[in-house]
Amino acid sequence: MKNKSWHLDRRDLLKGGGVAIALPLLNGMGAGLNRALGDNFNGMGENAHPKRMLVSYFAYGAYMPESPSGVPRSTEKVDREEHHPWSWWPCKNAGPLSFNESSSPFKPLKEDVSYFRGLDHAGGWKLGGHSSGDVFATGADMIGAEKTNNISIDQVAAQLHGHKTRYSSLVLGTEGGTGSYGSCKTLSHRGPGRPIPSLHKPQEIFNRLFKPYTGKGVEQVRAGLKRDASILDLVLDHSRSFKNRLGKEDHGKVDEYLDSIRALEQRVERTSKWTHQPLPEVDTKGLNLEVSHKEPEEYIRCMYDLIYLAFQTDSTRFATLMLESEQSSNSEMWNYATYVLGYKGATHDIAHKRPADYSGQWDQWRAKQHAYFLQRLRDTPEGDGNMLDRTLVLWGSAHPHASHSTKNYPIQLAGGSRLGLKHGRLHEFVGEKKVPLANLFVSMLNAVDVPVEKFADSTGLMTEVIR
Amino acid sequence: MASILLEMSFRWCTLIGFSGIYILRIIAAKFCRERPELFSFIRPKPINKTACVDRGLQIFRWLLGAMFFQVVWQLPLGVLAAAPVNDGYDSLVRPFFKAHCIACHGPDKSKGELALHTLDGDLRSGRGVERWEAVLDAIESGAMPPEGELQPDPSKRKAVADWINSQLRAYVKAASKEVPANTTRRLTNFEYENTMRDLLGVDLNLIEYLPQDPVKPYHFNNTAEFMLLGPEQIDRYLEVARRALESAIVDLEKPKSYQSRQEWDSGESNKGFAKSLKRNEIAIHNSRRGTPGQGMAVKDFPRTGEFRIRFQASAVFPNGASELPLRFVMGYNLNINSSTQEVAPVGVVHLRNSPDNPQVYELRGRIENFPVQKGRVHRGKLQPDRLTITPQNIYDDGTLNDENQFLYWPRQPDMPRAVVDWIEFEAPINEIWPPKHHTRILFDSPLRQSDPENYIRQVLTRFMSRAYRRPALPEEVNRFLEVYNLLKPQLGSIESTMRETLAMLLVTPQFLLHTKSDGKLIRHEFELASALSYFLWGSMPDSVLYELALTGELNNTEVIAEQVQRMLADPRSKDFVSNFTNQWLSLAKMKTVPINRDLYPRFLYYVEAGERAGTEKPYIPTIRDYMIDETIGFISELIRQNASVSNLVDSDFAMLNQPLAAHYGVEGVEGQRLRPVEIAAEHRLGGLLTQGSVLIGNGTGSAPHPIYRAVWLREAILGDEVKAPPAEVPALSDSAGDSAEQSLSIKELLAKHRTVESCNDCHVRLDPWGIPFERYNAIGKYQRLVPEEGTRIRGFDRKRDTDLAGYTKYLEGINTREVFAESRLPHGPRVDGMDQLKAYLLASRKYDIAENVIRRLLAYGIGRDLNYRDRYEVENILQQSSKNDFLFQDMIVAICQSSTFNRRTSNERKRDNR
Repeated sequence: MKNKSWHLDRRDLLKGGGVAIALPLLNGMGAGLNRALGDNFNGMGENAHPKRMLVSYFAYGAYMPESPSGVPRSTEKVDREEHHPWSWWPCKNAGPLSFNESSSPFKPLKEDVSYFRGLDHAGGWKLGGHSSGDVFATGADMIGAEKTNNISIDQVAAQLHGHKTRYSSLVLGTEGGTGSYGSCKTLSHRGPGRPIPSLHKPQEIFNRLFKPYTGKGVEQVRAGLKRDASILDLVLDHSRSFKNRLGKEDHGKVDEYLDSIRALEQRVERTSKWTHQPLPEVDTKGLNLEVSHKEPEEYIRCMYDLIYLAFQTDSTRFATLMLESEQSSNSEMWNYATYVLGYKGATHDIAHKRPADYSGQWDQWRAKQHAYFLQRLRDTPEGDGNMLDRTLVLWGSAHPHASHSTKNYPIQLAGGSRLGLKHGRLHEFVGEKKVPLANLFVSMLNAVDVPVEKFADSTGLMTEVIR
Repeated sequence: MASILLEMSFRWCTLIGFSGIYILRIIAAKFCRERPELFSFIRPKPINKTACVDRGLQIFRWLLGAMFFQVVWQLPLGVLAAAPVNDGYDSLVRPFFKAHCIACHGPDKSKGELALHTLDGDLRSGRGVERWEAVLDAIESGAMPPEGELQPDPSKRKAVADWINSQLRAYVKAASKEVPANTTRRLTNFEYENTMRDLLGVDLNLIEYLPQDPVKPYHFNNTAEFMLLGPEQIDRYLEVARRALESAIVDLEKPKSYQSRQEWDSGESNKGFAKSLKRNEIAIHNSRRGTPGQGMAVKDFPRTGEFRIRFQASAVFPNGASELPLRFVMGYNLNINSSTQEVAPVGVVHLRNSPDNPQVYELRGRIENFPVQKGRVHRGKLQPDRLTITPQNIYDDGTLNDENQFLYWPRQPDMPRAVVDWIEFEAPINEIWPPKHHTRILFDSPLRQSDPENYIRQVLTRFMSRAYRRPALPEEVNRFLEVYNLLKPQLGSIESTMRETLAMLLVTPQFLLHTKSDGKLIRHEFELASALSYFLWGSMPDSVLYELALTGELNNTEVIAEQVQRMLADPRSKDFVSNFTNQWLSLAKMKTVPINRDLYPRFLYYVEAGERAGTEKPYIPTIRDYMIDETIGFISELIRQNASVSNLVDSDFAMLNQPLAAHYGVEGVEGQRLRPVEIAAEHRLGGLLTQGSVLIGNGTGSAPHPIYRAVWLREAILGDEVKAPPAEVPALSDSAGDSAEQSLSIKELLAKHRTVESCNDCHVRLDPWGIPFERYNAIGKYQRLVPEEGTRIRGFDRKRDTDLAGYTKYLEGINTREVFAESRLPHGPRVDGMDQLKAYLLASRKYDIAENVIRRLLAYGIGRDLNYRDRYEVENILQQSSKNDFLFQDMIVAICQSSTFNRRTSNERKRDNR
């Protein structure tokens, strides 16, 4: 991807006036609003570079033979032992990072990654071992007051800054769709009961991102969108009168529908505005968009490549990627470990059996794919730094080694050194020091100029890594 | 008593309120006349003062009468009912709980997340009804108190059950008068695709373009509460509708027809080992260069429209077989050794004629449904896109894998071969232009020229009435006439304007949500017609149902019975059976269980050589595919025969074709067509429990898995809800499959479960159900002997075993130990193996099994999980069907006649009460 012609000039982009000003106001955001606007409209220096975020999830936890609960056991025997070479954790003790076999793909990225031990969402504690992936990006209390989940971190950011790019967010997964409660196939949620279906077909994702007009001229597209807007208006009217003919037990469904049409209208308006901006030209060389699940490595790299391209062209700044869901027994994902390592069993079995000769290797394989993405960002210069410097990349799972446990997630955060992040350490939040994972979320949001003070069950900021 | 008085005072208020409205209206009308400018928001409608007073008084009298009646009727009842409520609880139920339940389900412990100490004796409040129902189930079935605990006196048990039953029944009766629980829901993707097919007359694959429906094992994906309608969903619907209308409405100019043809002569082939193969012959699973098996590339073709493939074919049967299935697939060239190739099946013909009697066959389909292979740049030139038509010889006698290397090559000369002399491709078929699906929407009429506005109105009215599954209301038609008129100047032709108008119409809630009656303009019968057709066809009502709804005749139990039988006999009911069965029995997972190739080297077909060697052969039907057909075909057959539900447990027939029969060891079945085959005891088949789809899906691919199978039996057949292992319980290695020797230690694994208390609580009631399945191995075959524990089994080894017979001999050598399949069922007898398990289920659990089937069918039919409110309606259906040994079709009829299925909306009730 050395082709530079499709690298957008942000000045042109802003001059075009394609930036929608209709900003939704979130609770407690008033103060930050001006700052957010200011960043975008005034500064052409450092601040003009986009601030991005990716949340990437891997299923079934990771191999931690030395401490299945996800936090270190404090027995003398353990203290004397060397760090396990195939543990997911790169090193044994909190402090400066060193890398073992499992985490070796991140060795070259030492200055750009941090690990966190002992973090989790309290909302996920009581969810079944196969369901806690639902709340990884939301922290919702699905057993208690938030039965239909709640807004995810990427969408909080997208609500404030999403209008600055052609797409407010990019939601990807390996299985596609929404899944159901308890077996979600997407990380992103617009709010309670509104999961955003993830996209999983590379070709389709590519077309939606970079070829949205399907060969039509831009004038034609604009006329079409204008037409859509006026007709959606009529449809909305039509549906309102329909609602009155239904019993009150069905009003909820129609409201859901009406909301969707309204959202669609807004999107049409937005798309229409963006037609004034030229589409980025993307070189598809080396991109195999027809890759299938039978080739896990190529497939997953392709998904990462698409996110990279979306970030690089500033088509969006917020993305999620759910690599396998916790319930993929009906899909090819179930066989990934077989394809990759020749493991004779379902991928999910690794989590339960933790076979010594496959588990670490499986983690290492996953780390390799993720490191590939980080490396790509770091290799792409941007301003006087590189893309990784302004991209927060959260990577983790909602289980430790003990696959039915929903506490003490494996968590890694990378990038963003120009957004105030300090890297290169393993942080530990055990015992009295334990804090919610949501604290990290709040700090991440702040780092990408979303001035929230609280997210889910957060109790403060994560000052350890983010200024 | 106090509550009754309170209630009466409420009623007085309502009474006065209602009649008061009319008085207020009179006053308002007076003001309206005097100060019209203040009341411009009131519709200026002349009000007849005396009529208003009359109506007010009439209502007053009517309500007064009703109240009087109610008081007289309720007073004694209320007093009678009120008295024993708490008495019964305090004297009977509470002591019972205290003696038998509270220790585990109380303030100290709440096993199974159930605590009883917070229940009060007043069920009428609706508090804790779900818990009460769970308690009732446990007490009635005898599942609680658990074995080993003090058991209550049977008469006490019954008395408590009766008490809960009477209270619950009273509550349900009262609650059902309130807002009905049934909510409308959107069409599932499956229903959407079928509806579009029947509405537009074009059979297109649309599901792949829609976000997935939510899936939950053992639940149905049409459950209303999960069926969301977000903006993404609507966005996709719009895209898909546009795509479909592009196909359904054509341009008037007759398009050019594309034709291609390829011929093969019967000369001798001169290549290598296949010398015996003529140039026009296709050997099994073979796609050799120069033969029709390689496929015919089509480079000129339209992107939409119906296509036709004609071909002349026959078959050679050296082994004396009589039928050869020749399957056509179309899409990518299958000879490319890669994972990205994609094809879709066109159809199968069963050849019985010999080459001296060649015959011409024809297959049709829609081009849109087939993947097009994009042209690549080759030597600096862009190759055209292409579609490759590949005929496949999929003859399979179940022994194809039984030879040494290169699959079954040594036997190839003895195996049936297909002969294809030529293939012709033509698209679009334009003999009749515009095609029927076009004229069904834009019908021929002189009005089109003479009175366009009226013509469009008629087109819209007809289409909308079908799309909305009930007569379109004039205001609805007007709205879309408006849309049409808005689009017309921009889009030009009637055709393109209509495409866009209808696409918009297909994202309205009237189309996307299931049809509901409004109690006024839209008759209840239309809701019923839709409910029936989406239940039994997964699609919109046909004209017969629509007419019956229009005339009102449908709302009659006789007519419903007649229609249900007609619908089940219609081929469209296949969709219902497969969709329902797949979800009910959670079948899909069997396709992704990784079969251990070392242990079962001959079960699937693998690529022999090249880059993809060792992976499963794509696009070749295998026994595993036929097993899904077997299970769906079995349920189909039960419905067709109107057989008893006890066949689910054991039957005297199995649905088999030749490969399946070979797998299970049944002789005398020839050909690929699935059919009911009479079976004997030694086949160890019959019913669902021994079908490969179930056994493989609930195994690990290397070994049987008693826990998976137990969960399946309890969930799918007995209708229990088995809770997932709790989050905090450390997972014991719950699946074997890592290596061959580990796969046999399942017994130890279960024993380990029992030593941990938190596991044991559930597993003591679970594991015994799975043990009797143990003699059926991981690929669903009966296997009495296994190796001694700890024996290392080696997989198939070509060098040592030479062929399957050699490997079988090796296995027989080490298979010396009898499989242990004996367990004592919870609250039941000791059973050894499948036969005894089946006997027990038939003797003691038939009622539960029938109830489960009814509940599943009903939940699928109404699109929501059942709850305590449906308990007594289910009981009615069950009673009714028990008279006739639970016949399948009769149960479906009874479900469709039930008031739960045929529930009225609150709007309708308002009207009914008026």
